[in-house]
Amino acid sequence: MSDLLTATGVRKEFGGLLAVSDVDFAIPQGQVVSLIGPNGAGKTTFFNMLTGVYRPTAGRILFAGKDVAGKPPHAITELGIGRTFQNIRLFQHMTALENVLVGMHCRLKGGIITSILRTPGLRREERTARERARELLVFSGLPGRDEQLARNLPYGDQRRLEVARALATEPQLLLLDEPTAGMNPQETAAFTDFVAMLRSEQKLTVLMIEHDMKVVMGISDRVTVLDHGEKIFEGTPRECQHDDRVIEAYLGKAATQ
Amino acid sequence: MKARADRLLALAPKRARMLALPLALIVLAVFYPSYVESLRGITVVGDFVPSLGSMVVMIVFTMMAVGLNIVVGYAGLLDLGYVAFYAAGAYTSAWFASQHFEDVSFHFGAVGVRSDLPGIHLSIWLILILAGLFTLAVGIIIGLPTLRLRGDYLAIVTLGFGEIIPQFVRNADDLGGFDLTHGTFGISPIDAPGFGTTLSDVLGLPASYQQSFDKVKLFYLTALVLLLFTVFCSVRLRDSKLGRAWVAIREDETAAAAMGVPLMRTKTWSYALGAFFGGIAGAFYASFKSGAFPSDFYFNISIFLLCMVILGGMGSVWGVLLGGMILGYLNVEGLATIGTKLNEGGINFDPTKYQFGIYGAIVVLMMLFRPTGLIPERRHKREMEEGVHDQPLYDSTHE
Amino acid sequence: MVGWVLIGLLVFWLVVNVIKEPGEFFNVALIGLTNGAVYGLVALGYTLVYGILQLINFAHGDVFALSGLFASTVIISLFGLDESSGVLVIVGGMLATLVIVMVLFSGVNALIELVAYRRLRHAPRLAPLITAVGMSFIVQNVSLAIYDVNYRDVPNFIPRTDVFSIAGVHYTWNKLAVLMITIPVLALLTWFVTSTRQGKAMRAVAQDPEASAIVGVNVNRTISVTFAIAGALAGSAGIVYLLQFNMRYDTGFELGLIAFTAAVLGGIGNLSGAVLGALVIGFIQAFNEGLSWNAPGSDWTRSIVFGLLILILVFRPEGLLGERTPEGA
Repeated sequence: MSDLLTATGVRKEFGGLLAVSDVDFAIPQGQVVSLIGPNGAGKTTFFNMLTGVYRPTAGRILFAGKDVAGKPPHAITELGIGRTFQNIRLFQHMTALENVLVGMHCRLKGGIITSILRTPGLRREERTARERARELLVFSGLPGRDEQLARNLPYGDQRRLEVARALATEPQLLLLDEPTAGMNPQETAAFTDFVAMLRSEQKLTVLMIEHDMKVVMGISDRVTVLDHGEKIFEGTPRECQHDDRVIEAYLGKAATQ
Repeated sequence: MKARADRLLALAPKRARMLALPLALIVLAVFYPSYVESLRGITVVGDFVPSLGSMVVMIVFTMMAVGLNIVVGYAGLLDLGYVAFYAAGAYTSAWFASQHFEDVSFHFGAVGVRSDLPGIHLSIWLILILAGLFTLAVGIIIGLPTLRLRGDYLAIVTLGFGEIIPQFVRNADDLGGFDLTHGTFGISPIDAPGFGTTLSDVLGLPASYQQSFDKVKLFYLTALVLLLFTVFCSVRLRDSKLGRAWVAIREDETAAAAMGVPLMRTKTWSYALGAFFGGIAGAFYASFKSGAFPSDFYFNISIFLLCMVILGGMGSVWGVLLGGMILGYLNVEGLATIGTKLNEGGINFDPTKYQFGIYGAIVVLMMLFRPTGLIPERRHKREMEEGVHDQPLYDSTHE
Repeated sequence: MVGWVLIGLLVFWLVVNVIKEPGEFFNVALIGLTNGAVYGLVALGYTLVYGILQLINFAHGDVFALSGLFASTVIISLFGLDESSGVLVIVGGMLATLVIVMVLFSGVNALIELVAYRRLRHAPRLAPLITAVGMSFIVQNVSLAIYDVNYRDVPNFIPRTDVFSIAGVHYTWNKLAVLMITIPVLALLTWFVTSTRQGKAMRAVAQDPEASAIVGVNVNRTISVTFAIAGALAGSAGIVYLLQFNMRYDTGFELGLIAFTAAVLGGIGNLSGAVLGALVIGFIQAFNEGLSWNAPGSDWTRSIVFGLLILILVFRPEGLLGERTPEGA
């Protein structure tokens, strides 16, 4: 199995603060990988480097054969990395359908002239896009919500919409940033099944930042642990639970003695 | 009686209902030249009816407002220097339809111009396209370095350009010996449009506006066509993929970029397209006035146009049309008429002197009490009333 | 790279001028210094408000103009200062004018914030900015309504004779008066911002309004105080401006933009930056208009200042003394 994404020696400094320290990280294709660690470990910073929000101070990030370190976010999305956000960033005053349509932006060809003239080709493309958007909403568990404003959706639905929107970018690698935060146990279980389906049916590769250990242990093929910007563990979920360094990171030295 | 009419109307298909009002207005507008004088003859109120010539000016400014709306209303970028595009368009007309470049003599498609006249004389229709494209290029050039700035800085920089270009125009009569804009004197006369003798014989179109009996009426109808063209493009853009991208950027830039929307390119397009229509309007207006003078281009015009957009409703085409016509009317005729009436009534107050104070007051009042404008854009109404929560005025995370 | 080349050319141009006409150079430099002081007072007003609200108060320049025009009324009609007034009368009259104008316009500016900007604190960022533009026109038209289109100035009760004249370099009394007023005002402001409780509150709110509120700072009042101080500064600038130049209703526009450029050049939000930026701009303008060897001249001052503004915002938006904010979300 080949690696879809390989990060080597990735480092991020903010002035004097070292947020991510020379991390090597590989995501095998078709797997669900969880990135965990105590708060402030550098997980979201790492995510942000993968998606172009931050430029790494050093290191390379190879995705689909290209070095994406330092590329702008929209270019990385076009290459095939989609993401959701930790604190939901939907387009609040757009409808659910419109949110998903924006996700398709880089996959649609419609230009200015064709838009103004509304050529048959453009109309067809828009129609197809809308159908596909509707399908994505149904797939993500939001049937019939097309015309609802994103901000009026209940919290759980907003999280689903974020996923639907990310899926609209047609990613090969999907980055989920704390997707189950604020969900109750039923919603969390449903979401875990959903991610499993993404892996098995859609053949997506998923990287998750998660705090909910049930989700992490339940669905991950592999777990990577960051602490204070360093990678301190990489392995199966089972191995992770028994690793001394991981336990120490979360619970302190006393827990391992 | 009204109930029956309402029911009949409700039965008509939705499409037809949506088009009914615009069509009616277009018909009213097209036939305006026929009844304007009768309207103006009515006692008391008649004085407030704008003349045909005034209408041309009003339409030109409204067209620019629709263009500005693409930048401010659709993409949410505060542009305080739109006058630069107006100037660029006007001088395009001035360069290619006058005797300014007197060392050359190049005629192509110009009508009503003696073939031995020096200078470059292209067909005005060609010039409108040229002006639009030239101004679009200017928009891209200005936009590229500046559009990555934050909203308030962008406003200042656009203001800067809006000031530099008129100053440049005023001083550009001696650029190393080359006279580009003829300085404070401006360039005049500028040729008028026309369709030429062939089309005149075949389709009955006017051969030359300049030599026509009802020159103003012809300019008016042309202005109307240009305005309709601008509105048409504006509506189509709003409902396009680009239009969605603009709204997404307005809502949350970071998320938009993460969804594959190229920020710089998308913003630059709004700027360039806004410029395009401004350039056409400027070129047309210069031909109508038969001149391009630096005194026509000053900072206050940018604010005047912004005021139209705000009064009407940011992002709302209908709103901007209304706001544009109202303020355009006040500027070209209305305030003066009010002033005359006041004088007749014994009150010695000249509203035209304080017109920018009036526009400023309109802006402030609108922002405080009805920021969505007279005819709100559907989305904006919600945005303003409830606040866009990820961009508070207090940026407590201090980006 | 390009920046260094441009700076190098600029230095070269200045050096040539010093060598060719040293007397003229220093005269012009002194003019630049004096103008810079006035710009500094106005720039501080912009930077104070921006620091606390991230708002560019477009109306600030016009408040400055109105205050200057009003000061001329106070000086001429209320105190009747002119060339024949005695020294004590002049000093007393000036002090009184300063107090009156500064107090009045601190109130005016605070009122503007209360009426126009307070409601829009949580509106999208575009809204208060647009309102500020509208406010600018309203204030300008108030000046227009009261003082019409004419230029106003005050009699030369502070004479334009030399304080000193060394080797062709001279400095006049009225220019010295400018410095004599500006420097104490700046000192007073510095003391207030660094040492008083209200000043600390201002700095706190500028950094983090929510946290300030949580620890008990009255954010609304702090903002009002900030606007009041900015208004007072504008008032003092208006008086000082009158000592050298005449004013009219639209003087505020150009001067406001120059002062704003100065604030941005120094680093918007940074008080010493505003003063530094103002001095730099003062010098640039004076050199442009006063030097004889290859100076573009006053026709191009506006373009130069705006061009500089654009260059700073595009290439170094944090200005000379500001902090570069980290990239990214």
